[in-house]
Amino acid sequence: MKKALVPVGLGALALWLAVVAGPPAARPAQDSLKAFLPADGAVAGWSQDGQPQEFAGEDLYTYIDGGAEIYQEYGFRRVVVQDYKNGAGKSVSLEIFEMASPEAAYGIFTFKRSGRGRIVGLGSEGELEDYYLNFWKGPYLVTLTGFDGAAETLGGLQAVGAAVEAKIADTAPPPALVRTLPVEGLDANGLKYLKGPLGLSNVYSFYTGEGLRFAAALKAGYADGSSLIVLDYGTDEARAKAWPELRAGLEASGKFKPLAGRTGEEPVYQDPKGRFVAFRPSASRLLVAIAASAPAALNRTH
Amino acid sequence: MTQAIGRRTFLKAGACAGLALAVGPGLALPAAEGGARGSRVGVGIGEDHGRAALKAIGLAGGIKRFVPKGAKVALLPNVQSRHPGSFTKPEILRAVIRLCRKAGAAEVNALSWQPLKQWEDTGLKAILDAEGAGLRLFERNEALFKPVAVPNGVQVKEVRLLAALFEHSVLINMPIAKDHAGNKFTGSMKNLMGLNSPASNRTFHKPNWQTDPADTAFLDQSIVDLNKSFKPALNVVDVTEILVSNGPFGPGQLMRPNRVVAGTDRVAIDAYCATQWGLKPGDIAQIKKGSEQGLGIMDLDRVNVVEEDI
Repeated sequence: MKKALVPVGLGALALWLAVVAGPPAARPAQDSLKAFLPADGAVAGWSQDGQPQEFAGEDLYTYIDGGAEIYQEYGFRRVVVQDYKNGAGKSVSLEIFEMASPEAAYGIFTFKRSGRGRIVGLGSEGELEDYYLNFWKGPYLVTLTGFDGAAETLGGLQAVGAAVEAKIADTAPPPALVRTLPVEGLDANGLKYLKGPLGLSNVYSFYTGEGLRFAAALKAGYADGSSLIVLDYGTDEARAKAWPELRAGLEASGKFKPLAGRTGEEPVYQDPKGRFVAFRPSASRLLVAIAASAPAALNRTH
Repeated sequence: MTQAIGRRTFLKAGACAGLALAVGPGLALPAAEGGARGSRVGVGIGEDHGRAALKAIGLAGGIKRFVPKGAKVALLPNVQSRHPGSFTKPEILRAVIRLCRKAGAAEVNALSWQPLKQWEDTGLKAILDAEGAGLRLFERNEALFKPVAVPNGVQVKEVRLLAALFEHSVLINMPIAKDHAGNKFTGSMKNLMGLNSPASNRTFHKPNWQTDPADTAFLDQSIVDLNKSFKPALNVVDVTEILVSNGPFGPGQLMRPNRVVAGTDRVAIDAYCATQWGLKPGDIAQIKKGSEQGLGIMDLDRVNVVEEDI
C-alpha cells in the first residue's frame, strides 16, 4: 500500500501545483519576443496601445540613437517594445531586452538600476524607482517606464512586469565574480557589474585607456564609504600584462599622485578628487580600493 | 504639416530650388567665440518652461539678434524618446516658434531623420502642427546629405549634413542637457549629430570603440570636429529636467533645475549646463576639447552668464 501511495501522492502534488501556479512558463518562439508581451486582458485594467516594435543587433541604434553602445558592450541580441494604457489615460512603456547571456542581462540591470529604489520581487532581482522599474531574469532585462509617479502608474508597472515575468522560464544566478566580494558592509543594491570601458567610465575614471581590457569587472560600495573595483582579466597572464600598462597609464595621465612609501607592487595614489586609491594584484584580478584615507583603501583591498 | 522626404522627392525639389546649398548667414562657419566682449549666456529660471525659454532668449540678446525678418528657420529639438528627461520639452519648442514668428521669420521647420513616431510620442509634432510650423522628416538615405568639409578637423575631415538644412538661413539648435553613457554629458555640441547623416555619425565611433578604451576619446573629438563645420545662430537648451543616469535614452534618475539656457557659444553653454548637475566642465572631454580648439569658452568666470527668475 505504501508503495502505491507514493506515486499517487506525487501526482496529487503535481496536480495541486498545476492548479495553483497555472500553466508552466514556456520559452517563447525563438523568432519573436512578442510571446512575452501580456495580451489584452492579461493585466486587469491595462491594454496594449499601438503595435509592438522589434529591433535586433545593430538595429538597436535605430531605437536608441546615440545610446545603444552600452547595451552592445554588455552583449545585446534584440528588444521588443510595447506601450500599455489604462482607462484613466495612464501609460506604461514595456521593453524586453534579450541579451547575449544571463551575465549580460545581470550586468545591464546593475548598470541601469540606481540602487536607491524599492526592491520588488520580480525576476532574479528587480528595483522600482520614481517612475520606472527594471528586473532581470535569465538572459532578459525588462524595463518598464511610467510617465509620472502616481500610485496607479507604479501599480501598472508592477502588474505588467509580473505578467511578463510569469512568461519567462529561464533563470540564472548572478556571475560568480559577484560572490568574491567581501560581504561585510557591502551595498549589494548599488553593485555594478561591468563588461567594458564604457561601463567602467561611468563608475570611475582612470584617465587612461591602458591596461583596461578586462573580461569583467565589479564596482561595489561599502558602509564605511569606501569602494572596491575588481578588474578580472580572465587569466593570471592577462592580469600580469595589464597591470603594468594600467599603472604606466595612470602615472602618464598626471591625474594620480603616487603616495610616498607606497610605490611597490601594491601602490597607493591620490586621485584628482583627493581620494586614496590602493591597488593589489591577485591572480587573474586587480583589486582597486578607493577611500578617504590610505589605510582605509589598503584595508579594503585585503 | 509633416513632410516625409525620400531621395526621389528630394532630388526633384532640389532641382527646382537650384540646390544652391550655400551656407547661409545663420549657418556660418564658427568664428572664435568670446572676443573682447566675452560670451553671453542667458538663463531663464522657473517652472513655466515656455516663459523660461522666452526669458533666456531675451537675456541672450533677444530673438531679433538671431532671426532676421524673412528668415527661413530650421529647428533641431532632441526627440530621443518619450522617456522623461530625454527630449526637448514641447513648451520650449512652442515658445521658440512663436518668437521666430514675432521676429518675422518667413518659414519655420523642424528637420529630422528620426522616425515620425518619436515626434508624436514626445508631443513635439503636436506643437509643430498647432503652431503651423513644418516637420520635414528624411529617410536615412545618404543621397539626402551633403558633404561639408571640416576646417581644422582633427579626426573628421568631412561630415555629411542634411542638405535641406542649407535651404534655410538660420539654425536654432534645441537640445536637452542630459547624461550620456558614452560621453557623460550631451548638450548643444552633441545635439548637432542630429543633422549629420547616420552613416557619418557611425564613423565617429571606431569599429571597436565600445570595447577598446583607446577609441572612446575618438567620439568626443569627432563631435568637436562636427561643430567646426557649421554654427547655429542660436542654441536654446532645455535644462528644466536633467536625466542624470541611464542617458541619453533613459529611463533614469531625474533632477529638476527648471532652467532654459540660450546663447551662441556652445562650449560656454555646455559648460554652464554641466555645472547644473555638479559636473566640472573640464572633466567633460568634448567641452574641454572644444575650448582648447577655439570653439568657445569653457571657463565660466570669463562668460557673461545672466540668470533671471521668470
